[in-house]
Amino acid sequence: MARNPLSSEAEAFRFLLLTVGYFAVIVAAAAIATWLGVVAFVVLSSAVVWFWLRSRSGKPARRADV
Amino acid sequence: MSAHADSQHHGPPIANQSSRIDASVLGMFLFIASEAMLFGAFFTAYFFVRVVNPEAQSWPLEPFHLPVFVAGVNTTILVTSSFTMHWALQSIKRGNRAGLKAGLVLTLLMGLAFLLTQMLEYARIGFNPSDGAFGTIFFGLTGLHGAHVFIGLTLLAVATVRAFRGHFTPEHHHGVEIPGIYWHFVDVMWIVVYATIYLL
Repeated sequence: MARNPLSSEAEAFRFLLLTVGYFAVIVAAAAIATWLGVVAFVVLSSAVVWFWLRSRSGKPARRADV
Repeated sequence: MSAHADSQHHGPPIANQSSRIDASVLGMFLFIASEAMLFGAFFTAYFFVRVVNPEAQSWPLEPFHLPVFVAGVNTTILVTSSFTMHWALQSIKRGNRAGLKAGLVLTLLMGLAFLLTQMLEYARIGFNPSDGAFGTIFFGLTGLHGAHVFIGLTLLAVATVRAFRGHFTPEHHHGVEIPGIYWHFVDVMWIVVYATIYLL
């Protein structure tokens, strides 16, 4: 199970800062050239998905109480 | 459970836990999912409008002009309000009541400033929701976010009044934590709206 980014105020604040950073890089790259903005979007989004999948695989599977 | 134990139980029956996920976590996930779908529907409409206008050399199309600088200042105000919100919660966790009150009041004032600036922007922007698909989706998306800010301000106002009445302690501050989570979520959504509509 992936970590809930809104599970606490501190987590939500961290999520906000990451979002600001994510869009700042994309907007800055797009301001230089549109294709660079697309590249930044693809690279950053891939990194986010990779970290998300890695955090999922690092935790043991949950079992239902029988 | 025995008949005696049943007779001792007061209040509503205990909720049946049919999911493997904790109820509060599941509730938050469902809330995020519903909000993502709500904003997602508006963003889909917005991107559709952009895609069906491939001949446009610049965005938005003429004669629409967006006040990027004013909205940028407004964005700075809203992001700063998240810092003061975080400061407020960290203060009460350390037992600093003055910090809690100051943080909440500053967050509330900056949230009001954001909403007021957005209203002024609407009044002076030069187009209205009935001026084509772009006008409709612009007011739809920013208005949807504005409604979320209004709800956040209502939650913050309640937390601020409670803080001044001495309701929160370093151990019990759920009434600040929940508005704080919501406020950061509203800020995240604004970053997406501002970057997508005004900048990209």
